[in-house]
Amino acid sequence: MSSLAKQIDTPVEENKVLDMYKDLQRRKKVILKNRLVLWAIIAALVTWAWTGTNFSIAIIYTGTANMAAFIFTDLLPPDFSAFGRYLQPALQTVYMSLVGMVISVIFSIFFGFMAAKNTSFHPVIAFTSRAIIAFLRAIPALIWGITLVVAFGLGPLAGTLALGLSGIGILGKAFADVLEEIDQGQVDAVKATGASWFQTMGQGVWPQFKTGFVAWSLYKMDLNIREAAVLGLIGAGGIGYTLQGNINLFQYQQASVGILMIFALILIVEYTTAKIRERLL
Amino acid sequence: MSEVVLETKDLSMEFPDGTQALKNVTLTIKKGELVSIIGPSGAGKSTFMRSLNMLNKPTEGQIVFEGENVLKARGKQLRQIRRRIGMVFQHFNLIKRSPTYQNVLHGRLGYLPSLKGGLGRFSEEDTRQALEILRRVGLEDQAFKRADELSGGQQQRVGIAQAIAQTPSLLLADEPIASLDPSSSENVMTYLKNVCQEDGLTSIVNLHQVDFAKKFAHRIIGIKAGEVVFDGSPKELTEGITNYLYYSK
Repeated sequence: MSSLAKQIDTPVEENKVLDMYKDLQRRKKVILKNRLVLWAIIAALVTWAWTGTNFSIAIIYTGTANMAAFIFTDLLPPDFSAFGRYLQPALQTVYMSLVGMVISVIFSIFFGFMAAKNTSFHPVIAFTSRAIIAFLRAIPALIWGITLVVAFGLGPLAGTLALGLSGIGILGKAFADVLEEIDQGQVDAVKATGASWFQTMGQGVWPQFKTGFVAWSLYKMDLNIREAAVLGLIGAGGIGYTLQGNINLFQYQQASVGILMIFALILIVEYTTAKIRERLL
Repeated sequence: MSEVVLETKDLSMEFPDGTQALKNVTLTIKKGELVSIIGPSGAGKSTFMRSLNMLNKPTEGQIVFEGENVLKARGKQLRQIRRRIGMVFQHFNLIKRSPTYQNVLHGRLGYLPSLKGGLGRFSEEDTRQALEILRRVGLEDQAFKRADELSGGQQQRVGIAQAIAQTPSLLLADEPIASLDPSSSENVMTYLKNVCQEDGLTSIVNLHQVDFAKKFAHRIIGIKAGEVVFDGSPKELTEGITNYLYYSK
């Protein structure tokens, strides 16, 4: 009886497996088709962008030659007598970056906590904060610089404020995203003890938020040095301002000292922030 | 033994997506009882427990805790109710980056001014008390370690310590041993029961291990699909009822 049952059962089982295998192949085909469509779209986008920018290998070749000629005949060798003139503006760039970072950190803490769904008081406040942050981010620091130079005149104040404002756009979003990813269970546990809003934030949220907060703030300091150098070009103070003076007067060998100093500044700040991060985290 | 600590009347909760998590739960919990709520995953055990201290908000019904209407409480009144209800969680929910003793001190937050508590400026008396409680749950050697350096069973004992630091009258434990191995489970449940007896606490423990419920609880409540289907002593919980709870559709 049992052997008969086996004889009847086996073909049915085999059919089932065969059906499953066919199903698997059908699913694989669908995935393959989706992938092909995706690659076709990517290829089309690249071709479109390629033609749109008039990109051609020939131009790269001649352009590189021109650039090499410019670097070797005009920029080099650097005229290190200009070093003294760059020192003060270089320090100014560091001040601008630091104060700009502090401004954006302070405001970003506020907007970040209000924008994150889990720490905000109300969804409407969260949405409004997100919108403010996105608006500040939509305008590049350079455009803020131009606007603020008109308002406050030439000099580092305009540049610092430009860095601060555009920084809220970046740090506010980063802080809000870090906050939204924290473990709600830990926050609930603190809340369940009868803690107030501020206590829940201080004891439940802050320990989880701290690492992201420090890492992002220091990263902003890195970015600020780079942006501060560019802001000088529009007269918003710092090393870029002196650099542009040299370029305008065709003093390229002095300008190359400025470029080297920006390079050195970036390296120093990057090294320092990395060390601070190691210490704090 | 007859004093009522907690009373729920027709407590119902519907999630925004339409799921009916609780249906007319009416229960009376008396002082000193150790009540275990059993039932399959998704039955509404956690939802019920989290409703009691308003971590989620029931849609209908009434909760009366020591004479106060919990669902009507707001702001300061709600915080004062919460500090009298200690809660222990399945995933411990300790602040992983903070030291163990500080996690215990979090139990004192409800008694501190907002600013002081938020900045973690706990008094000497509270700190001594927290260390004493850690000793009670056998963790004096772990007091200064970061919470996430402890084993699961130890972390859950810190969770219990934090709840006791609140000097609560009711202790809620939401599947306290679901993420622990059998021997740690035994250990944690023993600490929980002892502490409740010593301090005269009333406690409600969600469990899905029926044998643990039978062993530790004075009273067992079975919940299925948001409804109370059993309420009685461990002896009254027959195999038939257990099967009905967990296996029948």
